[in-house]
Amino acid sequence: MKSWSGYLFSETWKSIWRNKASSLLSAFTTGFALFLLGMSFLVSVNLRFIFSTVEQQMEIQAYLKKDISESETSKILEIVKNTGGVREVNYVSKEKALEELKAMFRDKASVLDTLGDENPLPASIRVRTEKVEDIPRVVGELKKIPGVVDVIYQEEVSRRLASVGRAIQIVSFGGVVIVGFVAVMVIGNSIRLTIYSRRHEISIMKLVGATDGFILGPFLLEGIVLGVLGSLVGSGFAAGLYVWIVQRVGSVLPFIPMLRLDFDVLCDMLGIVLVTGVMVGMAGSVFSLRRHLRI
Amino acid sequence: MISLRDVSKTYSENVRALFRVNLEIRKGEFVFIVGPSGAGKSTLIKLLYREETPTTGQVIVFGKDLQKMRRREIPYLRRRIGVVFQDFRLLEDRTVEENVAFALEVTGTPWRDVKKRVAQVISMVGLKDRKDAYPRELSGGEQQRVAIARALVRNPDILLADEPSGNLDPHTSIEIFELLERANMYGTTVVVATHAQNIVDALRKRVVELRDGVIVRDVRRGAYGS
Repeated sequence: MKSWSGYLFSETWKSIWRNKASSLLSAFTTGFALFLLGMSFLVSVNLRFIFSTVEQQMEIQAYLKKDISESETSKILEIVKNTGGVREVNYVSKEKALEELKAMFRDKASVLDTLGDENPLPASIRVRTEKVEDIPRVVGELKKIPGVVDVIYQEEVSRRLASVGRAIQIVSFGGVVIVGFVAVMVIGNSIRLTIYSRRHEISIMKLVGATDGFILGPFLLEGIVLGVLGSLVGSGFAAGLYVWIVQRVGSVLPFIPMLRLDFDVLCDMLGIVLVTGVMVGMAGSVFSLRRHLRI
Repeated sequence: MISLRDVSKTYSENVRALFRVNLEIRKGEFVFIVGPSGAGKSTLIKLLYREETPTTGQVIVFGKDLQKMRRREIPYLRRRIGVVFQDFRLLEDRTVEENVAFALEVTGTPWRDVKKRVAQVISMVGLKDRKDAYPRELSGGEQQRVAIARALVRNPDILLADEPSGNLDPHTSIEIFELLERANMYGTTVVVATHAQNIVDALRKRVVELRDGVIVRDVRRGAYGS
């Protein structure tokens, strides 16, 4: 004779054990779905990391008119700094621009000799934005500032980065939804088997006046347990594969910045996968219970 | 306590189980429902614990119209009604004690109360020494006693039995009916659908006879045949 929670847990365990094969199948299918979820999480975290690295390197260059005064320059700098989405502003004076140019052509000093003492380079402002998406707007703002003669930026690159990011997010979201749906069905099927094997017991429970909630309890818990098992399987494989990929990429394509799988990222992934696993499990239970509880 | 008003039950187009049945059963009564197979006895029993709902008419139990009852109220109706079947309906993987306790456990009774009440009712049906046995180790009569213990463990106001001795030999049947009578003496209203002619004749209780879904006889201290 047991208490309600004792009853709940022992029934759940018994039923998972009794239907080992189908429980295992659903845990692994859920595991696969959640593995995809975990991977797509890691991929999107990484893309964000790569983007932010690239974004940090993406600059807008605003060239100032040739004979600009110092007070005008500082006024312009002030305006730029106060523009929304701007993260970093660097002033490059004529002299500095020349220095940079010289440094770039160190081996071909003769090219620069033709300039003589004259410095033809304009002063410029280099601007970095918070996000890639901000670039076109900031460019527009910069163009409006009097004293700015030209604005140059890598328009194509920023546009592509933004759209590739969006596409990857949509595709991985779609994949997760589809496989998640399959996982719900498979868990639902496993629960259905349990319900079928216990239909006799359920009919007696209903006969003696057990509430639907009470009857539902063990099945709901079974779904959750299967979901949690799936989460562990899925995030285990995702973490393992990711570590392997990072190692491979690190040795073959060392210039691609990749996020190392540290404790925080792992916890985030586990959290997302676990919560989703529990929800998938519950959805599976409810899905089959709604149709089969009316015995 | 139980009131059927102009109750008809049709299963499909042409299967008419009950037709315009009117029946009043008062608290504390012991009623036999008799009649040939297919006369509608089981359907009548099923209507009383809301396993079925009538096609037309009203079934009123404890003052409530069962058809208007909400789905979530049904468990609480059933906690006041014990039901016994011909095929016992015990759980094979549980002992006698566990089978009886099951009815209390799944309705959320604290386990201290469960233990005491289960011991009482098992001893009442005379299975004290067999409380750790599994159903397959018991005779048919013993299994039916377990089922009765389970039906009575909650001290129900109504005990329904659908052919409780259908699978039992005459001697064992008598013992089963003695248990039902005992429950009735403690104040439980008992309604039994049965074929057991000799027992109905011997007990001299109220007899309601059904034929083709119609009540053809309702006598206070009746016998199986008229």
